[in-house]
Amino acid sequence: MPQMKRTPQDCPSRLPENTAVKQQQLPACRLQLSATGILSGFFATGVFCLGMGVILILSAKSSMEIEINYTKICASCAKLRENARNFDKECTCSIPFHLTQTMRGNVYMYYKLYGFYQNLHGYLLSRSNSQLLGTDVKDVETCAPFSKSHDGTPIAPCGAIANSLFNDTIILSYKLNSSVHIQVPMLRSGITWWTDKYIKFRNPSSSNLSSAFAGTTKPPSWPKPVYELDENDPGNNGFLNDDFIVWMRTAAFPTFKKLYRRLSRTQHFIEGLPAGNYSFNVSYNFPVTRFQGEKSVVLSTLTWSGGHSLFLGLAYTVTGAMTWLAAFSMMAVHLKLKGKRFSPDDKVKL
Amino acid sequence: MTEALHWARYHWQRLIHSTNGDDDERPYNYSCLLACGGTSSQTPRPAGKHRLVVPHLQPFKEEYEKFSGTYTNNRIRTTKYTLLNFVPRNLFEQFHRAANLYFLFLAVLNWVPLVEAFQKEITMLPLVVVLTIIAIKDGLEDYRKYKIDKQINNLVTKVYSRKEKKYVDQCWKDVTVGDFIRLSCNEVIPADMVLLFSTDPDGICHIETSGLDGESNLKQRQVVRGYAEQDSEVDPEKFSGRIECESPNNDLNRFRAFLEHSNRERVGLSKENLLLRGCTIRNTEAVVGIVVYAGHETKAMLNNSGPRYKRSKLERRANTDVLWCVLLLVIMCLTGALGHGIWLSRYENILFFNIPEPDGHVVSPLLAGFYMFWTMIILLQVLIPISLYVSIEIVKLGQIYFIQSDVDFYNEKMDSTVQCRALNITEDLGQIQYLFSDKTGTLTENKMVFRRCSVAGYDYCHEENAKRLDSYQEAVSEDDDFADTLSGSLSNMAKLRAPSCRAVHNGPLGRKSSNHLAGSCFVLGSGEGASEVPHSRQAAFSSPIETDVVPDTRLLDKFSQMTPQLFTPLDETIPDPPLETLYIIDFFIALAICNTVVVSAPNQPRQKIRLSSLTGMPIKSLEEIKNLFQRLSVRRSSSPSLASGKEPSSGVPNAFVNKLSLFSRMKLASPVEEEVSPTSESPQGSGNAVCPTEIEKQDSDAGVTDGKVESLPGQSLASSLCYEAESPDEAALVYAARAYQCTLQSRTPEQVVVDFAALGPLTFQLLHILPFDSVRKRMSVVVRHPLSNQVVVYTKGADSVIMELLSVASPDGASLDKQQRIIREKTQKHLDDYAKRGLRTLCVAKRVMSDTEYAEWLRNHFLAETSIDNREELLLESAMRLENKLTLLGATGIEDRLQEGVPESIEALHKAGIKIWMLTGDKQETAVNIAYACKLLEPDDKLFILNTQSKDACEMLMGTILKELQKNPASPGQASLSENLHQPPAPRDSGLRAGLIITGKTLEFALQESLQKQFLQLTACCQAVVCCRATPLQKSEVVKLVRNHLRVMTLAIGDGANDVSMIQVADIGIGISGQEGMQAYVNLLFWYQFFCGFSGTSMTDYWVLIFFNLLFTSAPPVIYGVLEKDVSAETLMQLPELYKSGQKSEAYLPLTFWITLLDAFYQSLVCFFVPYYTYKGSDIDIFTFGNPLNTAALFIILLHLVIESKSLTWIHMLVIVGSILSYFFFALAFGAMCVTCNPPSNPYWIMQKHMLDPMFYLVCVLTTFVALLPRFIYRVLQGSLFPSPILRAKHLDRLTPEERTEALKKWRGAGKIGQVTSKYGNHSATKSERRPTPGSSAVFAMMSPTSCAVEQENLSVHETALDSDYSEMKASEIAGPIKD
Repeated sequence: MPQMKRTPQDCPSRLPENTAVKQQQLPACRLQLSATGILSGFFATGVFCLGMGVILILSAKSSMEIEINYTKICASCAKLRENARNFDKECTCSIPFHLTQTMRGNVYMYYKLYGFYQNLHGYLLSRSNSQLLGTDVKDVETCAPFSKSHDGTPIAPCGAIANSLFNDTIILSYKLNSSVHIQVPMLRSGITWWTDKYIKFRNPSSSNLSSAFAGTTKPPSWPKPVYELDENDPGNNGFLNDDFIVWMRTAAFPTFKKLYRRLSRTQHFIEGLPAGNYSFNVSYNFPVTRFQGEKSVVLSTLTWSGGHSLFLGLAYTVTGAMTWLAAFSMMAVHLKLKGKRFSPDDKVKL
Repeated sequence: MTEALHWARYHWQRLIHSTNGDDDERPYNYSCLLACGGTSSQTPRPAGKHRLVVPHLQPFKEEYEKFSGTYTNNRIRTTKYTLLNFVPRNLFEQFHRAANLYFLFLAVLNWVPLVEAFQKEITMLPLVVVLTIIAIKDGLEDYRKYKIDKQINNLVTKVYSRKEKKYVDQCWKDVTVGDFIRLSCNEVIPADMVLLFSTDPDGICHIETSGLDGESNLKQRQVVRGYAEQDSEVDPEKFSGRIECESPNNDLNRFRAFLEHSNRERVGLSKENLLLRGCTIRNTEAVVGIVVYAGHETKAMLNNSGPRYKRSKLERRANTDVLWCVLLLVIMCLTGALGHGIWLSRYENILFFNIPEPDGHVVSPLLAGFYMFWTMIILLQVLIPISLYVSIEIVKLGQIYFIQSDVDFYNEKMDSTVQCRALNITEDLGQIQYLFSDKTGTLTENKMVFRRCSVAGYDYCHEENAKRLDSYQEAVSEDDDFADTLSGSLSNMAKLRAPSCRAVHNGPLGRKSSNHLAGSCFVLGSGEGASEVPHSRQAAFSSPIETDVVPDTRLLDKFSQMTPQLFTPLDETIPDPPLETLYIIDFFIALAICNTVVVSAPNQPRQKIRLSSLTGMPIKSLEEIKNLFQRLSVRRSSSPSLASGKEPSSGVPNAFVNKLSLFSRMKLASPVEEEVSPTSESPQGSGNAVCPTEIEKQDSDAGVTDGKVESLPGQSLASSLCYEAESPDEAALVYAARAYQCTLQSRTPEQVVVDFAALGPLTFQLLHILPFDSVRKRMSVVVRHPLSNQVVVYTKGADSVIMELLSVASPDGASLDKQQRIIREKTQKHLDDYAKRGLRTLCVAKRVMSDTEYAEWLRNHFLAETSIDNREELLLESAMRLENKLTLLGATGIEDRLQEGVPESIEALHKAGIKIWMLTGDKQETAVNIAYACKLLEPDDKLFILNTQSKDACEMLMGTILKELQKNPASPGQASLSENLHQPPAPRDSGLRAGLIITGKTLEFALQESLQKQFLQLTACCQAVVCCRATPLQKSEVVKLVRNHLRVMTLAIGDGANDVSMIQVADIGIGISGQEGMQAYVNLLFWYQFFCGFSGTSMTDYWVLIFFNLLFTSAPPVIYGVLEKDVSAETLMQLPELYKSGQKSEAYLPLTFWITLLDAFYQSLVCFFVPYYTYKGSDIDIFTFGNPLNTAALFIILLHLVIESKSLTWIHMLVIVGSILSYFFFALAFGAMCVTCNPPSNPYWIMQKHMLDPMFYLVCVLTTFVALLPRFIYRVLQGSLFPSPILRAKHLDRLTPEERTEALKKWRGAGKIGQVTSKYGNHSATKSERRPTPGSSAVFAMMSPTSCAVEQENLSVHETALDSDYSEMKASEIAGPIKD
C-alpha cells in the first residue's frame, strides 16, 4: 500500500484546536446583573416610560379633532342609497356644526367609515396592479368579480376595491357671518403617499386620457368613468386621482378614516380653522346602511405623534408605573433576602 | 435501492446456484464425503445453500463461469444515490418525514383557488428551501461516502495474473471471487479469503481485527491444512482445489467450508482459515489467499447494516408537542372558519364583502366558512415551523462538532478524539438515568495481573507481587495529583465510546462504519501507514505491570527442590514431596502451554522465535526427568480407568494417527528423535542475536521493549520475548509462569517449547487445541509430553466447570484419589477466597490419556471437524469427550485492575442520580467485590442477593425484598428474610441505598414475562444493580427491559464483541431541549382575523413571513442551541448533582411547554394589541400596520433569547445584531424595490416611511418592553427567591478561584439542604435553561445548552471513555491524565 504511506507531516495530530471558540470558552456575558443594576435599570425604564407617556399625552391633547357622524343626520339619503336602483339620483344633505376653538395649523379633513371591511382577503386581492401602473390597462385578470362588464369590456379600474370607491362629496363651508357662507378652501392634492401618486399609480400613456381608457368601461358602481373623476383639475384624473389613490390603499381595520382634503391656508384660514359655525355639505352617494355601517367626517390637526389618540401615551404611563411597582417590590424582596444570604454579593441575580 | 438491488441479485444468484447444484453438485458432494472415509450420519444440506469457489484462472474458466462468475466482485458502493436518482430518491426519502408531507400538503392546498391565502408560488418557497438544504446535506454526505468508496475501490492489492504468471497490482474493485491475492505485512485484506500460504513456517498469520470489532488483540489465522507443510509459496497455477463454503452471511465468528482437492480429498475449513476484509495482516511477511467472498458479500460488509436509528427522547417529546400545536392550529382554524361563517351571514347579500365568484355565484356562509378553514390552515401554518426540524438537525451537527473538538476528550496516546456517529444522541446525553456497564475493560482496565495461585491445595499469596502492584498504584496516583482530582482522572479516560459515540483508535470511523468498509478505516485511519504500526503493535503486548510478576518465595522454594538430584532415586516410598512437585511442574507447564499465546521477539515481530531445533540440554538430566514422568505415569495407570493407557508409545495408535496426519496438524515425528536433535546453537545465543540487531533496525519499536529488556536479570532472553494473546488473562498466566522460570519459548502449530529452568527446555508436541468458547468456558491443549511420552490434556477454565469435570473418586479409594479430593476441597476454599477478593479465578487441570484413547477420540474429532453442518455441536461433543476425568492441578487468581478514576466516576454518577447496573459474566463474589471496589456499592448499602434455582422462589424472594424496601427506609430491617438474603446491619437513615445482586440463572427467571414488572419495581428501588454470570444475550435483554418498561434514558457501555448487542438497544443522549416555537407571530395573524371578518387576511407581507421563518429568527436559536452553556465545565465536574436537572429533563417538562405557550400567548397579545390600539381609528393601511408588528416581534424573539440564554458570547451578539440588521436591510431593500412584486402587500416604501416616523419607534419599544417584562421579572425573582442548583452553580462561575473553592465547600456542606433546594427548584421553574421561547417559527430556540450538554456529558460519559480502547492503552504505560 505504497500510496497510503504518508509522512508524519501529512497526518496532523487529531488534537482538536484549543481555541476559545472550539472549546466553548469564549468570554461570555452572562446577563448576571447585580441587584443594584437591575433595580436601577427598572427605575430608569420607569422614568423613561412615565416621561414618554406624559409627553405623548400632552402632544395628543394639543391636537384637535372633531368628528361628525352623518349617517343618521342624512337618514333620508341613506334610505335612498339602500336601493341600488336609485344610484343616479342625487341626494345632498347639510350638517351644520360649531367649532368652539380655533383649529390651529394644518387642518385635515377625513372621512371615516365604520364597519367597512376593506381588509377582507378577497376584497384585498381584487385589483390589478399592472392596470394601475398603466402598463396594461386591459389586464383585469386578478380583479374578479369586477373584471369585465356584462358585455365583456374590461373594467378600468377593475376590482372590488376600486368599485367600492368612496364617492361622497364633502364640502366644508364657513359661516363668516349670519348671511355670508364661504366655502372653506380645501386642497385635494398632497393627501396621498408620494410613492403612490408618482410611482405606484400611473395613467396609461396616451395623448389624452379618455383615449387612453378607450376600450374599457367604468366600474359598475361608478357614475362616471375614471378619467372624469375630477372635472376641475385635469391632472387629477384617471388612476392619478388622489381620492382614488387614497381609497386604493386599503385600511387595516373595519373602522378607519381616510384623508379627504387638507385645509388650504389662505385668506381667513391662514391660522387654521377659526372658531365659528360651519357646515358640511355632503353629496351622499356612498351607501353604508346596507352593511350596518356608519360614516362621519373628521377634522383634525396633526402633531408629531400622530393624531388625537391617547392610547400610546397612556400605555407608556401605565407601563412606567408598573415598572416602578415591580422595581419597588423587587427592592423589597431584595432587602428582605439580603440578610439571609450567606454571601454578600449573592444578591438578586439573573 | 442499492440494498434492494443487492438483495435481488443475491437471491437470484442463490436461485441459479441451487438449480446448478441440483443436477451437478450434489452427487459430487456426497461421493466426496464418502471418499473421505467419513461415517458421519450427517447428510449435508443441499449444495444450493453453499457457494462453490474455484480459482479464477484459465484451466477452470468454464467451471469458474459456471459457479463463481456470478458472485459479486469486490467493488463496493455504500452510497444511497447516484447522479440520476438523487433528486427523486432524496425527495422520496424526505417525504417519509411526516412534517414534510404536511408542508407539501399546505403548499398544494394553496393552489386550490378557493382557499388560496398567499400567492401560490411563494408558499412553495419554504418547503423548497428546507428540502434543498436537507438534500444538499444528504448529497454532501453521500458524496463523502462516494469518495471513500472510490478510494477504497481503488486501493491496490496484488492479484495473481495468469498472463504474467505473477502477482500484479490490481484495484480492490477488480478483485473477484476465486482470485489469488498476495498480501504483505500491514496490508489490509481486500476481501474475505481463505488463507493458503503464509511465509510463517508454521503456516500462521496474524490479523488485527480492530477495524471490525474494535479489539486490537492479534488474532491468529492458519493456513489450510495440507498447505502449511509446503515449503514454497502456493502456486496458483497448480492449485486445483475447489472450496465449498456457506452462502455469505454476517456471522464474523463462523465460517463453514471445506476445500476439496482434485483427488476429492476434503479438508475442513473454519474461521481459523478465513482472512476477513478490513483486517490488517500483522507479524507475517506475506500471505496468499483465495477470495471466497468479495465486496458486499464479505462478512464485514454484511455486518454493516447501518446504524439503528435512535430516536432521541427529545425528539419524541418534540413530536408530541408538535401534535399539540396541530391541535391548537385546528382550534384556531375552526375559530376562523366559524367566525367567518357567522360574520358572512351578517353580510350575506352585500357584494362588497361577500365577493361573488367570477361567475356571479355567491358562496353561502357555510361553504365560505369551510373554505376559510383551509385558508386559515395555510395562513397559520407557521405555527408548526417548517424550519424546526432543519434547525434541530443543524443544532445537533453543531453540538457534535463541539463535542468532537473538545480537548478534554482527546487522547494523546492514541491521537484520537471522541467520535459521534449518530446525530440524535447529543441531546439525550444529558438525560441518562440508567447506565449499564460491562465490567471487564470498562470499569476495569482489562489489564490482567497475576495475583496468586493455589497449587496442589497450597495457596501461594504472592505478597511480593502484591507489594509491587501497590507501589505501582501509588506511582500512578501521585501522577494523578498533578491534575485536578476528578477531572484529571476523567479526562484521562478521555475517550468516549458509546453506542454511537465512540472513540476510534487511529481513525475517525467507529465500529460500525469500519465494518461498513472495513477498509475505510484503513483509508482514513491508518492513513498514517507505517507510523501507525508501532501503535498497534504496542497494543498487542502487555505492560510491565502485567508482565513482571514477582514470584512467591514459598513457591520458589519448592522450585528449588526441583533439582534433578532430588528425582534421581526412584524412591517410591516417599511419594508425597515429589508428587506435589510434579503438580507444580504440571501446573506451570499448563500455564505456559494451555493457551493460544504467540511468542515473538518484540523487535522483530515477523520473525518468531523458533527454538524447535534448539533443544540442547544435558541428556543426563533429561533422562532423569523422563524417568520421573514415567514413574508418575505408572502410578497413574494403576488407576483402573487408565489401565489401558499403559501401551507403549509407539505402535498401532501412532500408525493410525499417522494416517490422519494429513488432516490434523500434528507431526508424528518421534518425540525421542526430536529431543535428541540438539544443535550447536544455544537458545540464548540465538535469541540475543536477533534482538539487539533488530532494535537498531527498528527504532520506532524501541520504546515498546524498554520496559521488558531491563526487567529481571538473567532473563534477558525470556524477558525480551513478547507474548501476544487473544485474551489478556492468558498472557498474564504465561507471564506468571515465566516468573517461575517456566518460560514459553516458542509455539508453532506442531509444538510448544517451554524452557523450564529446573528441567531445561521441553518440547511438547502439540496434538490438538480445543479453543476457548463461552459455552464450555474452558480450553484445552492436547500434547505429547516429552518426558513421559504420554498424551496429556491440559485444561484451563472457569472453576465451576472444571470442578464438575474432575475425575470422580474411584471406589477403591486409592491414596491418590484421596489426595485429589483433599486438593479439591482446599482449592475450592482458595477459589472462594480469591473470588471474594475480586479476583478472576481459573482452574487448571490435566488428564493423561492413553494412545488408544486418544486415537479413538481423534477419529471422532476429525469427523466433527470436517462436517459443514452441525459442526459446532459435533465439536462441542467431541470436546466433552476429551475434557473429563480431569485431575485438578490448581487454581489461579488474576486481578482485573480497576481503571483509574473509576470509583470517583461512579461516585459522581451516583451523585448525579444515575442508576448504574453492572452486567458481568463474572461469578457473584468477584462481581460484588469489584462493585465494592469501584464504589458501585457502598459499605453501608443494604445488599440484596437474588440467587434462586426456581422461578417461584425467585418471585417470592423478590416480593419479600420489595416489601422490605418499601418499608420505612429508616426501619432497621433486621429480620433475615431468607437464606439467600443477607443484610448488612444498620442501614443509613437518610435515603436508603440498596444494592441488588442477581445471578444469571435468576435473571433468567426475572426476565420472564410474569416477573418482569416485579423485577423492575425492585430494581427501581436500588441504586446499583449487579448482574453476575450474565450471558451477553441477557445483558441486552436487561437493557431492553429497562428501556422499554421504565421509559428512561439508558446508556450502555461496553467494549468487546459480547457487548455489541447491549449497546445497540440502548439509547443515549444528552439533553438539549429543543422546542417548538410557539408562534407569537402566528398569533398575531390570528388576532388580526378578528378585525378582518376572519377572511384570512395577513397583514404581513408573505416574504417577510418567510424570511422570519428561515432567516431572521432561525439563526439565533441555532447558535443558541449550539453554544448555550449554563454552568462552566469545572463547576459541573465538581458538582455532579447538577446533572439531575438534565436527567429529569426539567428544562423540557410538559409544564414548561404550557407555560411557554401561555407566555407566548401573552406576548402575542401585547405584540398585536399595543399597535392595534395605537393605530386604531387612524388612516393606517393594512401593511403599514403590519410593519411595526413584525419589527416588534423580531425584537421580542431575539431579546427573549437573550434573557433565556445562560451565556452570551460575541457569537451570540454577532448573530443577534446580524439578524436585526438583516431584517432592516431586507425590509428597506424590499420597500425600495418592490412596487408591485408581491400583491396584495406591495410593501413599497413602507419601512422607509416608518423609519422616519417617531411613532414607529415608540410603538416598537413599548411593545417589546411590555411583552418581555413578565418574563424578565420572573427570571429576576427566580434568581433571588428560588435559585435552582444550576443557577447557584452558575453564580459560582463568576467568582474568583479562591471564592469558588470556598463556595464549593459550603455547597457540599449544605448538600442535604441542597436536596431540598433542588426539589424547590424543580417545580418552581428551574426549567430555566432550555425552555421554549415564543417567537417566530424558528424560535423553538433549541434552548438547551448544548455546551452544558457537552460538559455534562463529560460527566456522564467519561465512563464510556473507560472502556474506550483499553487494548490500545494497554501497552502504553497506564495512560497518564491528558491535561493540556
